[in-house]
Amino acid sequence: MILCGLGGQGILFMTRVLAQAALDKGFNVMGAETHGMAQRGGSVISHLRLGEVKSSLIRAGTAHLMLSLDENEAYRNLAFLSKVGKIYVDTDSGDFPRPEVKEFLDKRGITYRAAPAKAIAQGLGAPKSSNLALLGFFSAFDEGPMRYKELKMTIEKISPKRFREINSKVFEAGQNRGSSYKIA
Amino acid sequence: MARQEILLGNGAIALGLVESGCKVVTSYPGTPSSEILAEVIRFVKSERLDTYIEWSTNEKVALDTAFAASITGKRAACCMKQVGLNVAADSLMSAAYMGTIGGLVIISCDDPGPHSSQTEQDTRFMARIAKVPVLDPSNPQEAREMVSLGMDISEEFRIPIVLRPAIRVCHARQNIKFNLIKKSAQKASFKRDPQRWAATPAFRLILHRELNIKLKEIGKEFESLAQYNFHNLEPGKRYPFGIIAGGVPYSVIRDILTEKKRADIPILKIGTPFPFPESLATEFMMACKRVLVLEETDTVIEYFLRNNNMIFGRLSGHVPSEGELVPQVIYDLLNKTLDELNLEKLGPKLDYEATELVKGLNLPVKRPTLCPGCPHRAAFFAIRKTKPKAIFTSDIGCYTLGINLGAVDTCLDMGAAITIASGFYHSFTQDEVTQPIVATIGDSTFFHSGTAGLLNAVYNGARFILVILDNLTTAMTGMQPTPGLGIRADGSKGKAVSLERIVTGCGVEFIEVVDPYDIKKMVNVIKKASTYVNEPEGGIAVIISRHPCVIAYPDEAIPERKRVMVTDDCVECNFCLERFECPALYHDQELGRADINRELCVNCGLCIQVCPKGAIVEA
Repeated sequence: MILCGLGGQGILFMTRVLAQAALDKGFNVMGAETHGMAQRGGSVISHLRLGEVKSSLIRAGTAHLMLSLDENEAYRNLAFLSKVGKIYVDTDSGDFPRPEVKEFLDKRGITYRAAPAKAIAQGLGAPKSSNLALLGFFSAFDEGPMRYKELKMTIEKISPKRFREINSKVFEAGQNRGSSYKIA
Repeated sequence: MARQEILLGNGAIALGLVESGCKVVTSYPGTPSSEILAEVIRFVKSERLDTYIEWSTNEKVALDTAFAASITGKRAACCMKQVGLNVAADSLMSAAYMGTIGGLVIISCDDPGPHSSQTEQDTRFMARIAKVPVLDPSNPQEAREMVSLGMDISEEFRIPIVLRPAIRVCHARQNIKFNLIKKSAQKASFKRDPQRWAATPAFRLILHRELNIKLKEIGKEFESLAQYNFHNLEPGKRYPFGIIAGGVPYSVIRDILTEKKRADIPILKIGTPFPFPESLATEFMMACKRVLVLEETDTVIEYFLRNNNMIFGRLSGHVPSEGELVPQVIYDLLNKTLDELNLEKLGPKLDYEATELVKGLNLPVKRPTLCPGCPHRAAFFAIRKTKPKAIFTSDIGCYTLGINLGAVDTCLDMGAAITIASGFYHSFTQDEVTQPIVATIGDSTFFHSGTAGLLNAVYNGARFILVILDNLTTAMTGMQPTPGLGIRADGSKGKAVSLERIVTGCGVEFIEVVDPYDIKKMVNVIKKASTYVNEPEGGIAVIISRHPCVIAYPDEAIPERKRVMVTDDCVECNFCLERFECPALYHDQELGRADINRELCVNCGLCIQVCPKGAIVEA
């Protein structure tokens, strides 16, 4: 699983939630993170692998899932996705993905779902929590081994006390968005 | 069930340190090593240990301190990034001869990529030069175990041990089971032995011989260290092709071969590149016709194998000699090598359709920038504005990003802002050319290695402006405290060391402290400094540009929040975008003027002082 975006968007926290939920479910967890110079507003990417693996890095063409907090960063990391992979991206642009990308994704059978995670978080007065809104949106589709309830429990467990309530709320709002997206 | 946590590789290393009874841990922060000490502190607090911990002023100081602990009989460790080991090299080379008493593990973290370093150098070579054993972990769990192994070997053979985790070990995350952590009861004692601890050259020859004997014995031990040096050859079987791998590339190739079900390709894993397990390697080479070597970042294993005819690697051009060996690179090069040998390939060639597509999208390149509200930005703006013709020598830290404001021309190594400025001064003055020079260095970097250069510059009569960018923290590596603050690694109170007094003590006669948030005042101080530098009796002028880091101290950094807006007075000159380069400022095509990105803006109000047309105002 690839988690990406820009420095400061909370990619490491989103990764922690998924990793902890996976561990609590009995998976072995291996991940790779970006620290240091690249965190100063640059592109940030985090790899997360579950199961019996040795290396922390995902090979290009083999990721099953991508969660991106930025539209351009989703494009930038396209090469990681396997055929029939799935993309969840935070964007309010109605024309995601760009036509040339859409053609590529359709050809490969890659599913893409966009949600205005930033706007959802902002609407709840927590503009810096778009990561949890996107995670909530993702959780509505029952993709991968960690489901809505487990992720929500993990968020409540690992959020610092003063953010626990709002984080949970933003996550739920994201999930609602995903549920209505499915119906639409 | 045993307690389990998802730890960073650096956390796993920290756990290894406390588990092995390490009593003293020292470090200087540097990516990718910085989190080790912070994690040690976390475990020391949760397990109520009495481990002594310090952020040292630099890596040499850290190693000397840990070495001293070791020769009092305590287990000790020091942690740094690979280029930090260059700073500590003097200490390392000598410590190898003198030997240790308590276990001493030197952790030096490599950065293939490089992601956050000035070189891709290979710590394993440094260990070889120093003649100390080096352990090369391939994942966090192994790094944790190797810390304990290193302590045991160090103590048994009385020799320092180097652990070389690469960035994909340090910044990997893995679930790690906790063992019982016990407080170590070692007490300090020092037995006089000047022929060892203060050896003169005649005794150094004896120590060198001793060291060589130790290495031979450790080499024998490593041959049978089946946990970290092993292969999966079937007895008596011959193979057309095999792989020898160490460190992170071992993990990558192991995953690829498992996924592709290629049990026909044997692997020899090398966890101890020096002393090199020669017999084990020979056994492997005898069973294989050709061998591919995968290691980061240089050619240590390849050199030890010494058989160029049958080896594919960097020396033969089959493995790239620079950059990180990420999985797709290894997949591709292995595929090509198998093809060259007419052996079955792993699968189809990697397709680069996505890569080509992404190239064609012309995505904006997100270069790292100073944060919105960063005091360094204001300082650089003032420097560039006042001394546009100066050469800007700078240094290592967040402020290297002053390059985006056109206010950084050089960055060599820690402390070089001052030494390069000095060298420039003498080179130009020799030709009777007056070249303005402005050096910039951060507070932590100045404490690390600024004083020797400044003393030298003063003593030898160099003239330039030195701006110490004092943001009261070591920002780039994650906000570690500096000596200037008087707060120690574990948060306890230490003695604050005054930058002003150090600078004065170095013999500098012009020193001004200014808050760069007042850009006009900063400009005036730079002008005054410039006049002083050029006076007949002038010299080096030091400006301490002091303002708290906006990330470490958000409230103190911006005591008065100002919501800014751009008015229609904006003439789209782009001056603010190019010279001030705040990520929260952008040009809005539709509005036909600059505008503020509210998501990024921290309301510092600095840009109000920047716009030449007065078009940025408080709303």
